[in-house]
Amino acid sequence: MSVGTDRPLGPEGKPDSAGEGRQNPAARDPRGRVGVITKGSLVEGLEMKLDAERNVEDMKAGKFVVIEGDKNDFFSMVTDMRLDATNGEILLHPPERTDELLRQILAGTGTYNIVSLRPMLMMPTAATPGSDDGPRPVKAIPSHFSVVQDAEEGDVSRIFGSEGDDEGRYFSVGSPLDMETPVCVDMVRFAERSNGIFGKTGTGKSFLTRLALCGLIHYDRAVNLIFDMHNEYGWKAMKETAGSNSSFVKGLKQLFGERVAIFSLDPKSTRSRGIQPDHEVYISYDQIAVEDIAPLQDELKLNPTAVESAYLVYALYKDRWLRTLLSLEGPDVEEFANEIGAHPGSLVALHRKLKRLENFPFMVKKGGGDDDCVDRIMQYLDAGINVVLEFGQQTSMLCYLLVANIISRRIHEMYVKKCEKFYATQNPEDQPRQLMITIEEAHKFLNPAAAKQTIFGTIAREMRKYYVSLLVVDQRPSGIDDEVLSQLGTRITALLNDEKDISAVLTGVSGTEGLRSVLASLDSKQQALVLGHAVPMPVVVRTREYGEDFYRFLGAADEAPEVRRARAEKERVALFGSD
Amino acid sequence: MTHALGSRSLDSFRDPVPQGADPLRQSNDKQIYGDSAQISHTGEVIESSTAQLVAESVRLHGAPAFGQFVRIETEPMPILGVVHNAQTQSLEANRRPSAYGKSEEELRLEQPQIFELLRTHFDVFVLGYLDGAYPVLAYPPQPARIHSFVYLCDAPQVEAVTANDQLLRSLLDAPGLPTDELLLATLCHALEARDPAHQQAYVLRTGKELSRLLRDDYDRLSAIVRRLKERQSTQVEQTQVAR
Repeated sequence: MSVGTDRPLGPEGKPDSAGEGRQNPAARDPRGRVGVITKGSLVEGLEMKLDAERNVEDMKAGKFVVIEGDKNDFFSMVTDMRLDATNGEILLHPPERTDELLRQILAGTGTYNIVSLRPMLMMPTAATPGSDDGPRPVKAIPSHFSVVQDAEEGDVSRIFGSEGDDEGRYFSVGSPLDMETPVCVDMVRFAERSNGIFGKTGTGKSFLTRLALCGLIHYDRAVNLIFDMHNEYGWKAMKETAGSNSSFVKGLKQLFGERVAIFSLDPKSTRSRGIQPDHEVYISYDQIAVEDIAPLQDELKLNPTAVESAYLVYALYKDRWLRTLLSLEGPDVEEFANEIGAHPGSLVALHRKLKRLENFPFMVKKGGGDDDCVDRIMQYLDAGINVVLEFGQQTSMLCYLLVANIISRRIHEMYVKKCEKFYATQNPEDQPRQLMITIEEAHKFLNPAAAKQTIFGTIAREMRKYYVSLLVVDQRPSGIDDEVLSQLGTRITALLNDEKDISAVLTGVSGTEGLRSVLASLDSKQQALVLGHAVPMPVVVRTREYGEDFYRFLGAADEAPEVRRARAEKERVALFGSD
Repeated sequence: MTHALGSRSLDSFRDPVPQGADPLRQSNDKQIYGDSAQISHTGEVIESSTAQLVAESVRLHGAPAFGQFVRIETEPMPILGVVHNAQTQSLEANRRPSAYGKSEEELRLEQPQIFELLRTHFDVFVLGYLDGAYPVLAYPPQPARIHSFVYLCDAPQVEAVTANDQLLRSLLDAPGLPTDELLLATLCHALEARDPAHQQAYVLRTGKELSRLLRDDYDRLSAIVRRLKERQSTQVEQTQVAR
């Protein structure tokens, strides 16, 4: 055996083995090596022995690494780590704190670290045929002792695309852990399907939602209807910061001007926050169908027969059923029940409970013919203007459910008609705009009982072909019907702790074992796991800063009023013509 | 080889200090080799086998230090080994030296002949051989010839021999040697041969290799490492004092 003096010796103590056996020398910086693959399986994921020089504390759950196989690069995520030792004796008699030399010697030999990796995508190396096809799902695993490298900026943009491409489909939502490269979401794919944004309260759901909406509006991939329960998307919203000095961030109206319209159920509240709503929303009793009452069973504590009684009234009075019913007083209701053949007790209960609706200031006896707010919303949406519906002080769940249901049901009907027309004519001009409806507290609409009845259940399940999708924002995903969850295209998830919530978010995603630990170990601020249709592989991101840089990117940094006015005018002309 | 016996006797008479301490003698062996005016070798092989050999020291009490690397110039190629034992005894097997109750200096003045009756022998464990300039850590094809000269390895040679992890394996697998002591001693010599800047990295690398080889014997590993660290710190102190 030669001692190897015929070739230059590497520096003492550092085996000069990085990148050995690598076909493509131009690939990655050998200093990025983190370890080698030692075992694993396609189903359970791979195990890597961490190089002794690497500190195990740098291997965070969710970190992004590349396994360099012989034919493919495997883009993988760190899901778990383990401390291990060859000999139990070492663990029984650990080296003294002061015995640094022995600790260093044992590191990587007697004691070692195993990191679990979940391969997410594979991409043929440059030397392999088919390398231009881009990333594919993982169908193979790398061979023994394949080198694992830190992912580099080039890898990230190779997978996630980069912002500012010609088509304008990639929108950066943040950057991977320990990296500065932007991770982009494919906005075309994002708009195609229903999506979910989840996270415990205070983990930045609203920020994530605002970010996603900005992306959709900025690239004009979908027109949005936002049911803004807490008034945080339209105009300014408070930024939760540590300590008492909270600041405000810009809302969509400030960022996109004329492309966003604010509708308000509570104009007084909207005005008191310093904005004039574009439109005030009133709902007449005639606009409420029995289907809108059905999902309120929980909130109104209706019994199951109540809906049947309502249908009886509806059979006789059609659209005027609710107005007719509420116009009755006390004993007349029983009489009325006998007349129409309904159960008197049941109808009395229904009447009593629906009386609560009269307390809502936005309910009116009869809407003016051309002042139908739903038609108005539809006009805006048709013109490509995004609608934020503010609820002002009307923050009760009952109100939110009722209004969201009524409006969405009507919009849904209109979209179905439009789509049918488009399918009939096949004229590109008739093609409806992709619509995305944002709902908060989604488990109220989409719980297993309600999902069967509310329009949102239908939209989530089948409305993709009618150009309507949902953006579901919720802190309790386990409350959402499994069938709906499994149809969600892209999920953006901030920290979740509850086991049930975590498994709910991962419903319909394969290979979730590793993601579970990642999800439970996210930071409580500014970190999110993005997975699903719009990203090629799940990835943990530090979310993009929602601040001046972002405003500037959207072209909405604080600019002189005249500049803004000129721009707004230009946009108005572009949208409505110059008449 | 005619000069060997005579000059050795004279030297051993005049200069009882071990020759290894003189750096001049260790260097330029090739040049000096064959020059009868000076003695560069440290011993001469008197018993030889493939794995072990015994050499007689040129000077009385002048064997190389324990764990020192030596080179035996022989045919077909030089052999490398490490000294693992030394002993001084009477020239004749059945005649034991007896106590005089005097200091060595007094004895040299009064009874100079008795030192002529003593010989120092040292045992060498064969590590490998030199193929051209490169050390090969495997048994040599032929054992060293009797009466071959033994030289101390110079620093670059020590560095080359100890650059390979095979050394540790050879020492650990060698039968009948005081393995741990020998390991420590050879490591110290290996360190001395290196630039101080590289010493720490070498200790670490060797330690890791040792940890791999001794994975079932953590106690032994930790003992060796602890002693190595103690030796290292005393060495550092000594060099500082010397400066």
